Amino acid sequence: MDQPLPTDHPGSVDHKRRLTALRKRLPPYLLSLPAGLWLLLLFIVPLLIMLSITLKTCSPASGVCVMTWNWGELPHVVNLYHPQFITSLVFAAIATVIDLVISFPIAYWIAFYGGRKKNFFLIMLLVPFFVSFIIRTLVWEFILSNNGIVLTFLKHNHLAPSNFHVLGTGLAVIAGLAYNYLPFTALPLYVALERIDRRVLNAAYDLYANRRAAFMRVILPLTIPGIFAAFLLTFIPAFGDYVNQEILGGTSNTMIGTVIQNLFLIDSDYAGGASLSVVLLIISLLGIWLYARLLGSRTIEEYL
Amino acid sequence: MEHVNNEAMNTEGIDPSFWRGLTQPRFSRRQALTASGLGLGAALAGSMGSATMAGAASSVGSKSWWKSQKLHHTLNFANWPYYIDVLAGKHPSLQNFTKQTGIKVNYFEVIQDNASFYQKIRPSLAAGQYTGYDIVVMTNNNPQLGYLMQLGWLVPLDHAMMKNFNKYAGPLIKSPSWDPGNKYTMAWQSGWTAIGYNNKKVKNPGDSVDILFNKKYAGRVGMLSDPFELGSVGLLAIGVEPAKSTESDWAKAAKKLQQQKSDGIVAAYYDQSYIQHLKNGDIDISMCYSGDIFQADLNSKYKDLTLLIPHEGAMLWTDNMCIPKYAQNPLDAMTAMDYFYSPVTQSVVEYYNDYICPVPAAKQQLLHPTGWNKAALASLKPEIGLPYSVTANSNVVFPSPARVKASKPYYNFKSQTEIDAWTSLFLPIIQGA
Repeated sequence: MDQPLPTDHPGSVDHKRRLTALRKRLPPYLLSLPAGLWLLLLFIVPLLIMLSITLKTCSPASGVCVMTWNWGELPHVVNLYHPQFITSLVFAAIATVIDLVISFPIAYWIAFYGGRKKNFFLIMLLVPFFVSFIIRTLVWEFILSNNGIVLTFLKHNHLAPSNFHVLGTGLAVIAGLAYNYLPFTALPLYVALERIDRRVLNAAYDLYANRRAAFMRVILPLTIPGIFAAFLLTFIPAFGDYVNQEILGGTSNTMIGTVIQNLFLIDSDYAGGASLSVVLLIISLLGIWLYARLLGSRTIEEYL
Repeated sequence: MEHVNNEAMNTEGIDPSFWRGLTQPRFSRRQALTASGLGLGAALAGSMGSATMAGAASSVGSKSWWKSQKLHHTLNFANWPYYIDVLAGKHPSLQNFTKQTGIKVNYFEVIQDNASFYQKIRPSLAAGQYTGYDIVVMTNNNPQLGYLMQLGWLVPLDHAMMKNFNKYAGPLIKSPSWDPGNKYTMAWQSGWTAIGYNNKKVKNPGDSVDILFNKKYAGRVGMLSDPFELGSVGLLAIGVEPAKSTESDWAKAAKKLQQQKSDGIVAAYYDQSYIQHLKNGDIDISMCYSGDIFQADLNSKYKDLTLLIPHEGAMLWTDNMCIPKYAQNPLDAMTAMDYFYSPVTQSVVEYYNDYICPVPAAKQQLLHPTGWNKAALASLKPEIGLPYSVTANSNVVFPSPARVKASKPYYNFKSQTEIDAWTSLFLPIIQGA
């Protein structure tokens, strides 16, 4: 009985060929291993932990969570807090649009007319944001308070009715959001405008485009990935923000971030807080997916 | 809170023994091994640390346990801000305590509200470790004090050491409904949650909680953002005693409060910051804590602020000193807690504090100081700028029998389900859009 040599036998031709193939295929995976581990440990694992908490039942007394496969928690809290989700969406959207309107001219001016002092102007734009986020917001509370400088001046000169107030209103929250997230809009816009090839603009003029047409048909389309990136970078953190609402807002404009913070830190409702966080995350990921779908994933690495 | 038993705490469908296992520290296999190892060593060597023996043999808070404790001449005391006499950044009553007993006190003003402070100490307690504090001060109108009791996270007090307390504690706080027999707690101070208003803006306040629901003051009324305070005032407004209320009463009260909000009467739901808004004139009427209004009145700038105890009654809350389990200096804590029940000590604390004094006899000590308080009060006087008699005769600090009668206790929750039912009714009013 002559047994044939197993083809897998070390030293066999087949085995060698397989090893070379593996050696060729493996490097990309090995090279992406650090990034993959990073993603796994700092994103996927925490995400799974959070998802598992949404199915648990936690005791507010002991803080102990027990897995009860409670699928009802997520729909329950979404049903309970959907008005706050809507408030957050509206506030974050308005603040983002305000930021885009304010920072586009600034970024445009620095990119096209900044000359050699571009970096200086950029630093000027960022200097206020070197101060802590909380302190900046607290100072806004001071400025906008009923007896603060702005309202006292307005009321004293009869520019506003005596019962006019800003603090505690949605307006104050939107203003705070717009102020605090301005750099997140301005910088991607600047990057987008800065990289526009000036020769393309000259070509447009050569083809008898006036300034308006050149802006509308050349500059604006070329900045669209930047605008979208700016939108995402501002909208996503503003959507989940709770500091501005907590400090500048009142009772009728609670945002979802405030609710999550209360559920986690005061009410010990970990399942509820985790459920709302998951919904928040899904909405944010939808935004990024939309961006990738419309503008391609290549631009994500360039702008975000 | 005493009624909240372990069984009631369970979330539906969970085996009670499972909960106990998760929430209560157990004698683990490793500890057992260590202990037997020690025993073996002791048998061989013929000697053994008696403290370890006593600690293992008697349960925490028992007579023998207390006997085995020693003074460490140090004490870590966690309290709410602005709640003890202050002179030039120091606390005369604590300085004197150190002088008398040699116990050095580290006083931390770290408690801003019950829920978040509870969350800070809970992980240590659950892990069976020292929280860093030997005395913490928790309010009876929130569930957290009850949680601490029912999870066995408080050290039962040594009644043999409560000499001043047994002699001088006032009727409002002696053996209270939330801690019968003062098993775990001794009151620090009490106060009413009542109504404060600006008498320049509000001319005919009347004597009813209805003032909070009057459309005449739309947008000028502040309410408290604590769901237990808000719900209680809602119950008073519909004519129900909170302590005797039922779940259907709660729903009616919530409806009344929701109506008040949708009528635009409520300017906002405030935490402690309401007093600043009242002082600033952002609001004219607000639910308030009695001591805040008394203190504001002392400043000539805010003389317009007036306290109203409605005929429906005012909620009486008490902040309670207690010793969290695994405290490193329980004997020092016990010594300090009883020290604060001396009328001499309390007169100094109260001259600064202006909440309801747990020691009625402190009134006489304020009028005619006889001990170390003589010098302490004299040194505080320029700072406070008031004759002692104003505090001593204040109906807010030493309440009249009528005021004592008007004091209403909070509802005692019997289970977590009840707490959830309450908060799910009143929290949406505060947080809702």
